[in-house]
Amino acid sequence: MKFLDQPPRFLFFTGKGGVGKTSIACATAIQLAEAGQRVLLVSTDPASNVGQVFGVSIGNQITSIPGVGRLSALEIDPQAAAQAYRDRIVGPVRGVLPEAVVKGIEEQLSGACTTEIAAFDEFTALLTDAALTTDYDHILFDTAPTGHTIRLLQLPGAWSGFLEEGKGDASCLGPLAGLEKQRDQYRQAVEALADPRRTRLILVARAQESTLREVARTHEELAKIGLSQQFLVINGVLPRGEAALDPLAAAICAREQAVLSALPDVLKALPYDQVALKPFNLVGLDALCQLLTETVSREVIGEDRQVTFDTPSLSALVDVIAVDKHGLVMLMGKGGVGKTTLAAAVAVELAHRGLPVHLTTTDPAAHLSETLNGSLNNLTVSRIDPHAETEIYRQHVLDTKGAKLDAEGRALLDEDLRSPCTEEIAVFQAFSRVIREAGQKFVVMDTAPTGHTLLLLDATGAYHREITRQITDKRLHVITPMMRLQDEKQTKILLVTLAETTPVLEAAGLQADLRRAGIEPWAWIINNSVAAAHPLSPLLRQRAHNELREIEAVAKHHAHRYAVVPLLREEPVGVPHLLELSGHAETLAGSSKG
Amino acid sequence: MKTIQVFDPALCCSTGVCGVDVDQALVSFSADAAWAKLNGAKIERFNLAQQPMAFAENIVVKGFLERSGQEALPLVLVNGEVALAGRYPNRVELARWAGIQQTATEAESADSCCSGGKCC
Repeated sequence: MKFLDQPPRFLFFTGKGGVGKTSIACATAIQLAEAGQRVLLVSTDPASNVGQVFGVSIGNQITSIPGVGRLSALEIDPQAAAQAYRDRIVGPVRGVLPEAVVKGIEEQLSGACTTEIAAFDEFTALLTDAALTTDYDHILFDTAPTGHTIRLLQLPGAWSGFLEEGKGDASCLGPLAGLEKQRDQYRQAVEALADPRRTRLILVARAQESTLREVARTHEELAKIGLSQQFLVINGVLPRGEAALDPLAAAICAREQAVLSALPDVLKALPYDQVALKPFNLVGLDALCQLLTETVSREVIGEDRQVTFDTPSLSALVDVIAVDKHGLVMLMGKGGVGKTTLAAAVAVELAHRGLPVHLTTTDPAAHLSETLNGSLNNLTVSRIDPHAETEIYRQHVLDTKGAKLDAEGRALLDEDLRSPCTEEIAVFQAFSRVIREAGQKFVVMDTAPTGHTLLLLDATGAYHREITRQITDKRLHVITPMMRLQDEKQTKILLVTLAETTPVLEAAGLQADLRRAGIEPWAWIINNSVAAAHPLSPLLRQRAHNELREIEAVAKHHAHRYAVVPLLREEPVGVPHLLELSGHAETLAGSSKG
Repeated sequence: MKTIQVFDPALCCSTGVCGVDVDQALVSFSADAAWAKLNGAKIERFNLAQQPMAFAENIVVKGFLERSGQEALPLVLVNGEVALAGRYPNRVELARWAGIQQTATEAESADSCCSGGKCC
């Protein structure tokens, strides 16, 4: 493995949820420790299961791992860190200021930014305080998923720069206000990160086109802020030997090999390793020791372990959605779970039933939405480009609201428009033009704003101001967008996830966030299920088996109603494939827990 | 020199761009405050979401919050006394409080209260 060759002091593993960062970080830690190095493994993964992997309870203190000499581990729970941070700011005024005021402040500090900052704050000391880490040769960080990580790492840089320039008012970097005393430590942490002699970044991905596109973006963004020493690890590649056993496995192999031979240009230049998909669960020392080795003792699972499966199809869910004849359907989920594809599948299903549908997507590749346009009666397709839309929004605000500002004022506004929330707002605003059509037809969107953003928009009154203005101007009877989103008759939110631990936990997090805003996701969709694809290859059958626990968790604990969408042999582009995806032909009986 | 203290509602940005529509009053005031500071005014801003202790510890502000709620913010104190509530001051008001001499053109352009706020 190239990424293990002469490693520097700090190793960061990054990648979106579910790609296997934790497993690879654990396996790396074991390997380095067995080679005589003293290793500290730090997990900031919200779904951290490092303790479970090693069979020891770790938590927020450095704990030595039994069975592996020279290895210690530490788990940072970002949610707990954020709560502690909120308590630090809100605690002193609780009971002093009115309760409504206190609640408002807490919501301000409940966003993703706060969580990331709080987690970063927790491990800053490990990068800067030599005394704290003097006992270790290597410190391995198993960080949060890509999007989080980018901002997490970018913010301190922006923060240090911001304060040095002394522009004055706390701005969008405001959540850092409570941490101001440590700004020197932050600068040192950023310096350590950007120093290739001290820090190596390992980008972990799967052999999927969209994932690799996202990794390429992460690579560029992090390289820009100085993290130039980067390695690429593609995890979970299906061994070619499986192809002979199963048409599905053969299709996956072919697809993966095609993706690997056409890596994005910026990634081709990176030192690169492949880790093969393993038939066993990566829990326990024995399993982890085998992860990074090529020779695997394969425990072949018998024919009797074939997964039998009876879960509701997407088509069955659409049956229920179709009853109202119109409405807004929003698909929500973390990047890479297949929201755009599923939005297209839902739209095609509805149009197929003779109902008027407008599908509007952020499809980055455009080939999915483009092939649909004009392909089916009742279906119109539009597409927005999130980056272009954000740029238009930024420019619009600068041109209109910023027109009368002097240079200083414009600089401040420009700074604020680089906030992470801006893209979410810009995209939602672009979509809101289409949302108005949902009174007459179906509008299907492949994205949705988070509950946190909705609450903030609602709390600041910006929403109501906007709507009230429309009412007085045009004498229209309009209900606020928030009310429309909270009404299940008008808006159905479909939460998309994969049948793997981390993605399910991430989706549950999004659900909790929406519930804070009084919005209840209408259904969950588990995408790319191997179990629902009825595989023959032993390796895929084992994976299918591993999925059952997650599917059960969704069915029993998380979702009011759900559907499972199978992994297809071919990429679901075009009407026939999309219908296949939703299980249209089979029209399985739906189930609802109500 | 008089001290101007501005107690903002809970905002995630000082310019308030995190809204469906950018609040022009906030954008303008951020610029006006920066302008007044450049001209020597002493202005402090407190964000309810980030510095709630500043609200809790000031008896005038705390009383205002209890009576009128956070919807009534912003609140502007000059030397500790209430000078303005419910909207942000414009450049002319800031100049008067801080004793900044404005040129005729500056005063004219800044005087149009329709650059934002709830007075229009």
